[in-house]
Amino acid sequence: MIYDPPKPVIKIRNLVKSFGPFTALSGISLDINPSEVVCIIGPSGSGKSTLLRCTAFLEEYTSGEVEIEGRLLGYRKTPAGMVRESERNIDTARRNVGMVFQHFNLWPHMTVLDNVTLGPRLTKGVPAAEVSEKGRIALAKVGLADFTDRYPSRLSGGQQQRVAIARALAMEPHVILFDEPTSALDPQLVGEVLDVMKQLANEGITMVVVTHEMGFAAQVANRVVFMDRGQVVEQGSPDKLFNEPESPRLQEFLDTWRQRNLLFRSEPQQLVAAC
Amino acid sequence: MTQVFELWIEYWPMLAAGLATTAWICALATMIGIAVGLLLACLDGARSTILRRTVRAYIEIMRGLPILILLFVLYYGGPGIGLRLNAETVGVLGLGFYGAAYFAEIFRSGFHSIPKGQIEAARMAGLSAGQIMRHVKLPQMLALITPPMVNQIIILIKESAVLSIITVAELTKNTAQFVNETYAVVGPYLAAALLYWLLVEAVALLGRTVERMVRY
Repeated sequence: MIYDPPKPVIKIRNLVKSFGPFTALSGISLDINPSEVVCIIGPSGSGKSTLLRCTAFLEEYTSGEVEIEGRLLGYRKTPAGMVRESERNIDTARRNVGMVFQHFNLWPHMTVLDNVTLGPRLTKGVPAAEVSEKGRIALAKVGLADFTDRYPSRLSGGQQQRVAIARALAMEPHVILFDEPTSALDPQLVGEVLDVMKQLANEGITMVVVTHEMGFAAQVANRVVFMDRGQVVEQGSPDKLFNEPESPRLQEFLDTWRQRNLLFRSEPQQLVAAC
Repeated sequence: MTQVFELWIEYWPMLAAGLATTAWICALATMIGIAVGLLLACLDGARSTILRRTVRAYIEIMRGLPILILLFVLYYGGPGIGLRLNAETVGVLGLGFYGAAYFAEIFRSGFHSIPKGQIEAARMAGLSAGQIMRHVKLPQMLALITPPMVNQIIILIKESAVLSIITVAELTKNTAQFVNETYAVVGPYLAAALLYWLLVEAVALLGRTVERMVRY
């Protein structure tokens, strides 16, 4: 029997992104396979978000390739080199990619249901009633079935982010990119968003999550990718990465994180002593 | 004072005709100004550098130019390059394309008020540039740009008085005629002032209504 490896949903090859003289990504290669949950961790400025944004082509990459389900995103190969695709073709190529942003980015002038259904209504050519029904189902999935007619400004941050997740789900994407989905939330609201994400992971939705939530990465990820200075330094199972880190940079990163966590959990006296 | 009223009544048809001309010229010019201004503001956000520079150049030139010079060039210089337009057409086009530069700046500030993240979310939801404009940008910026738009329309109405210089029989021109025929000065200009104020107030009222409607 011939082993047929799964075709990656996202295939990234030698991805480079420069902002003027600054190189944010220096040659990243990464595959995301169907039903995989990949968490990307790393210090601030390591290029995690830039990688995600290039994968969605919200940021034009400088060189390399991003393929979504076998289709090159953003550029077209010609004998003369890579030529930028038309906006329409870019929209088609990333039709199956959903995204959830750090700052939710809901549209404040629309109700929660309209936020969730605008994309499908305008782009999928499905009857309005069906779109509405699917929107309600998506909202129910994130636990906000009773909030359809509210405006985003009347919701808590956690609820807003769950609406944003429902909005991504309503497009029925094959992969969802999460760009630090809990970083803008008050600590007590982080849990409700992570719970929804865990549930999606259990349902087999392919997810790429840039996060600072190590606990989430350890529990939910199939694979953790550690980035630093625009490179993938180390990747592997959460168990391996968190318990037997190989590279000194990852060890250092995890040490810093553990120390900070220790400080947060300490009693005031210990905190003073630690300082 | 009774004399003034008698004059007003006698010359009412002339004043009314002038007011009507001012009103329709300004209405058409506003429509052109808003349509071209929106187009300019959209092109200003285009990816092409040449397009963006052309738009910037247009806006800078129009803003740097007194409207009277633009009207003179169009009306008296036009025939020299085979552009023979009647005075009303010059008035509509002149005021419209002149106003467009200002409307474009208002739209531009409106676009800037929409957080970039919302546009990115719309792109990830598969919306085209036109759909983003229609469903995400315009509805949110309408409340914000209505007051400066109304302001700009009012300025346009008052600037339309210079059309009297290129022989358009609008309110100012007809009032001057009224002065010439009666040798009265204060009475006719007071009438003109009241009628301009009426027109401006009507626009302001319309603006307030729109403002209430577009608030979400």
